[in-house]
Amino acid sequence: MIEAHEVRKQFGAVKALGGVSFSARDGHITALLGPNGAGKTTLLRTLVGMLKRDHGSILVDGVDPEQDPMRVRANIGFLTDQFGLYERLSTREYLAYFGELNGMGGAALRLRIDEVSDMLGMDDILERRSKGFSQGQRIKVALARALLHRPRHLLLDEPTRGLDVMSTRAVRHALSTLREQGCCVVMATHVMQEVSHLCDDVIVIAKGHTVAQGTPDQLCQRTGIANLEDAFVHLVGTDEGIAA
Amino acid sequence: MRPGHHRPKWLVVFRKELRESLRDKRSLFLIGLFTLMYPAMLGYLLNQWIDRATRPEREGIELAVIGGAQAPTLVSQLRQKNITVSETGPLEEEAIAELLRGPKIAAVLRLPPNFSENYQAMRPARIELWYDSASDRDGRRDIEDVLQAYGTNIASARLLAHGVSPATLAPVQVQRYDTGSTAARSATVISGILGALFIPAFMCGMSAAVDSTAGERERRSLEVLMAQPARPWELVVGKWLAAVVLAVVGVTLNLVLAHVVLSWLPLEEIGLSWRVSWGSLFLVWLASVPLSLFAAGLQVAVAMNAKSFKEAQSVLSFMVLLPLIPSIMVSTLDLKTAGWMYAVPMLSNQTLLKETAKGAELGFVPFALTFLCSALAALLAVAFASWRMKSERYVLAV
Repeated sequence: MIEAHEVRKQFGAVKALGGVSFSARDGHITALLGPNGAGKTTLLRTLVGMLKRDHGSILVDGVDPEQDPMRVRANIGFLTDQFGLYERLSTREYLAYFGELNGMGGAALRLRIDEVSDMLGMDDILERRSKGFSQGQRIKVALARALLHRPRHLLLDEPTRGLDVMSTRAVRHALSTLREQGCCVVMATHVMQEVSHLCDDVIVIAKGHTVAQGTPDQLCQRTGIANLEDAFVHLVGTDEGIAA
Repeated sequence: MRPGHHRPKWLVVFRKELRESLRDKRSLFLIGLFTLMYPAMLGYLLNQWIDRATRPEREGIELAVIGGAQAPTLVSQLRQKNITVSETGPLEEEAIAELLRGPKIAAVLRLPPNFSENYQAMRPARIELWYDSASDRDGRRDIEDVLQAYGTNIASARLLAHGVSPATLAPVQVQRYDTGSTAARSATVISGILGALFIPAFMCGMSAAVDSTAGERERRSLEVLMAQPARPWELVVGKWLAAVVLAVVGVTLNLVLAHVVLSWLPLEEIGLSWRVSWGSLFLVWLASVPLSLFAAGLQVAVAMNAKSFKEAQSVLSFMVLLPLIPSIMVSTLDLKTAGWMYAVPMLSNQTLLKETAKGAELGFVPFALTFLCSALAALLAVAFASWRMKSERYVLAV
């Protein structure tokens, strides 16, 4: 469970977050919608305690990431817009590295790597070094890294970008499984189809403010527009930054 | 590993960074080349030097003379000066050049056919001296001295014949004294040689330090790493120690190889000394480990602020020169070894090794100072890097 209340963050004269409030529940996939530059990256970085907020409160399972970032991070799988692979390490070594950084080790870690690899269908690249991986392979490795330590929360920044149909389905399937297991998944995305099919809740932010939160149906009802994409454009007040 | 008993995070980072560095063939090759090449080069150059110094004082200069029959006195004077003269028939310019390029002849003296005629008529009689200034057989000075004396003798005889004292021809008399001893030279040479033995501390870990900071930032993987449940200092220390290992290995190899080479060469022949046992070398090595700690710490602290591998590398290649400045100043100003020198990283290591090589009894303090000054500087560098990585401004720039 992630709860944010009136979170504000300013860099010099630039107001990145002007008041973001939402709650993301366990066992739900929450979509984070917003045009480019709406403050999504800043929000995600604030949630893991990499940035300090100027105002407001954040609780991740009751823990403030600013007070105890290590505990919060150990409980979060974070997939940024950068994959962060290492070309001279094989996928297995890469996953082992992040597993150990999250306090895993030994046989349990090896077992978990195989498990995650199965889940994402990446056995063929498990022993290969990441040099020359395709976009799809890279994002799978990064996602595997985020899932590895069985975090209760997942913060995903466009997890299906650049994936082919098969891989996209694999990722969506994995996310559904995680939801069934009771994970709290927050994902930033621009793919409206994904939002309506996969997500239980939607948070819309624009210019650093939460504009709306609710189920996709609720958003449509509130705006009186049947199509989610049109409803989103209406809420944001512009048609910038929509990829699909 | 026992469950619930986790490996420290810095150790996890350290092992990964070291593994990655060891897989970087190109930088390993450079480390190998650098550490092996310097002792080898040192051995070769010193050996050459010793060889030249121990060659018999004057082996005799080989001189070919063309038309020597015209000046028998000159030829006999040359022979008196221990110059081996061989008479040769007339030669063209190319043949002379060819002769000089050969292994024996140091110079060729050519008396043109009209030499006697000019000599008899008391006109300046030309003598040609052919030599190769690019060759290392330098006998020109001796030959010119003989020619000078020969000319002066003739002039004196001619003046005497006219009733003038030959002394008028020599208003001044030059006597050369050479005080340059090998011992004076050796002090400068040995400190230069020994100073370079510590450079691997700055060279060998550089690529690892740059790759794990600026490189990681350039490849955009640092953000992911910083979002892990590991503290900034744990990341910094892991990356730092990986670079330290390579630097220490470089310095160790360089010292050991140089020790083997220097112990084996008969250095006394050129007035140098290397009175170092394995035991005292170990003490110097031990006191110098913090130099690698400092070098790698400084490199991590600087490189993490660069946006790309290239940027960091160019800044650091320049910074390699900085620690050499104190020792260059000491040798230019010709300062005597003093206590403060042991409190400056790099200079302290060089001074320590130099004094040990002389066989001086140093006592405990210089070793401790050498160790501590670099260790302290290393701690400062690492503390700065950790503080920097923690700052929000750095997170934003990643």
